Amino acid sequence: MDIQAYIQSGVIESYVLGVADAQDVAELQRLRFEYPEVEAAIAACEAWLAATARAGAVPVSDKVKEQLQHTLQNEFAPAADTTATNPTSLLKRMNRVRYFAAASVILLVASATINVYLYQKYHQASKDYIALMNERNTVVADNGLYQTKLRQMQDRMQLMAAPGMLKVSMPGTPGKEGNLVTLFWDTNTKDVYVLANKLPKAPAGKQYQLWALVDGKPVDAGMLDDCTDLCQLKPVVKAQAFAITLENTGGSPTPHLDQLYVMGNVKS
Amino acid sequence: MVRSLKLREQAAFSYLYDHYSSALHGVIQQIVPDPDVSVDVLQEVFVKIWRQIEQYDPAKGRLFTWMFNIARTTSIDTVRGKDWRNSQKNNSLTDDLIPLAGATQPNPIDDIGLRKMVHSLKEEHKVLVELSYFQGYKQDEIAQMLNIPLGTVKTRLRAALLLLRQQVKL
Repeated sequence: MDIQAYIQSGVIESYVLGVADAQDVAELQRLRFEYPEVEAAIAACEAWLAATARAGAVPVSDKVKEQLQHTLQNEFAPAADTTATNPTSLLKRMNRVRYFAAASVILLVASATINVYLYQKYHQASKDYIALMNERNTVVADNGLYQTKLRQMQDRMQLMAAPGMLKVSMPGTPGKEGNLVTLFWDTNTKDVYVLANKLPKAPAGKQYQLWALVDGKPVDAGMLDDCTDLCQLKPVVKAQAFAITLENTGGSPTPHLDQLYVMGNVKS
Repeated sequence: MVRSLKLREQAAFSYLYDHYSSALHGVIQQIVPDPDVSVDVLQEVFVKIWRQIEQYDPAKGRLFTWMFNIARTTSIDTVRGKDWRNSQKNNSLTDDLIPLAGATQPNPIDDIGLRKMVHSLKEEHKVLVELSYFQGYKQDEIAQMLNIPLGTVKTRLRAALLLLRQQVKL
C-alpha cells in the first residue's frame, strides 16, 4: 500500500469533515494503527479543522450560556465536587496519595525497626536458653556423679565398720610426724584397704608403695594412687605391720627405708 | 478535560462553552444561516455534547472534531427534518436535486469560512461538497443523484476537499 498516496488522496480530509462513507472509515481506522504517518496526518488535518472553524467563529450572547446551564442544572455533579477547579482537585488527590505513601513508608520503617529489635531479643533469648539447657545438663550429670559417689561412700562405711575388719593406724615416722594413713584389713577375705588421712601428694615421677611386714621381711602390697578416698590394694594373708614408702612411679622390689613416711603395727 | 466532563463537573462544561461556542456557532451558521435558529441549534448541540460525552472515543480523534460533527449533523437535521439523514426512502432524491450549489439556503453566508472557499471551486467539485458537507447526502446517494459512478464521486470529493484545505494554509 502506498501510504503517501493514501495520505495525499484527500480521504483523511473527508473523514475529518464527516463525509467519508463507512468503507473509507473502516479502512482508515485500520491503517491509522498500522502507520504512524497516517495517524500524524489525521492529527494535522484535525488541527487545520479546529483552526479554520475558529477563524470563522461567530460570537454568541451570554444569555445563551445562562439558558444552557439552566437547562442542564440537574445534570451537573454536586457542588461540593465542582467547587474545586480541575487542577486543584487533582492536586488534592495527589497530595492525599502522597500523604498515604509517606505514612505507609513511615509505618514500614517503624515495623522493620521493631522487627530487627525483636529478632535480636529473640536471638539473645535463644542463646540464653541453650546456655541454660547446657548448664542444666551439667548439673544433672554432676548430680548423678555425686549420687554414685555417695552410694560408694555408704558402701565403704559399711565395709569399714563391718565385723572382722581390722583397723591399722599408720602415723608418720620421725621427721614426718604430720602424716597419717589408716589401713583396713579384712581378716576374712584378706582384702586390704587404705585411706590417706594426711599424706602429701606424690611428686612427679614418684609414687607411694605399701609394704606388709611379714616375719621381719617387707612384702609389696600395692601402689597408692589418690587414696583420699578408700583404695583397695593387694590382699595380704599374714603381716605384723604395714609401712608406706615413696618410690619411683611403678614401684620398687625392695623398699627405700629413707623414704619411709608412715608405719603401723597390727594389734592382735 | 474529557475526564472532567465525564465526571459531570459544571466547571468543565463552562470551560468547553467558553472556548468552543463561537467556533461551533460559525460552523452551524454556514448550514443554518438564520441567527435565531442557529442559536437554538447551538444550544441543542451543546446539550447533545454534554449528554453524549460517554460516546466520545479519544482514540478516534480530537474532541473538537467530534463536537464539530455533532454540530454539522444537527444543523443538517434542523434544515431537513430530524429523520431525513437516516431515511432509507430516497424517492425524493430527484426533487432534492433542484436545490443545488448552495441555492437552497436562504441567505447563505458566502463571505466567510468554508462557504467562501467552496464558491471558488470548480463546478464539478463544488456540487459534491455542497451535497455531502452542507446537505448531508451520502456518497452513494450522490452517485445516484448525479448519475456518475461511486468511484468518481469519491475521487472528486476527496480532490475538492484537498483544494479547500490548501486554500487556507495555517
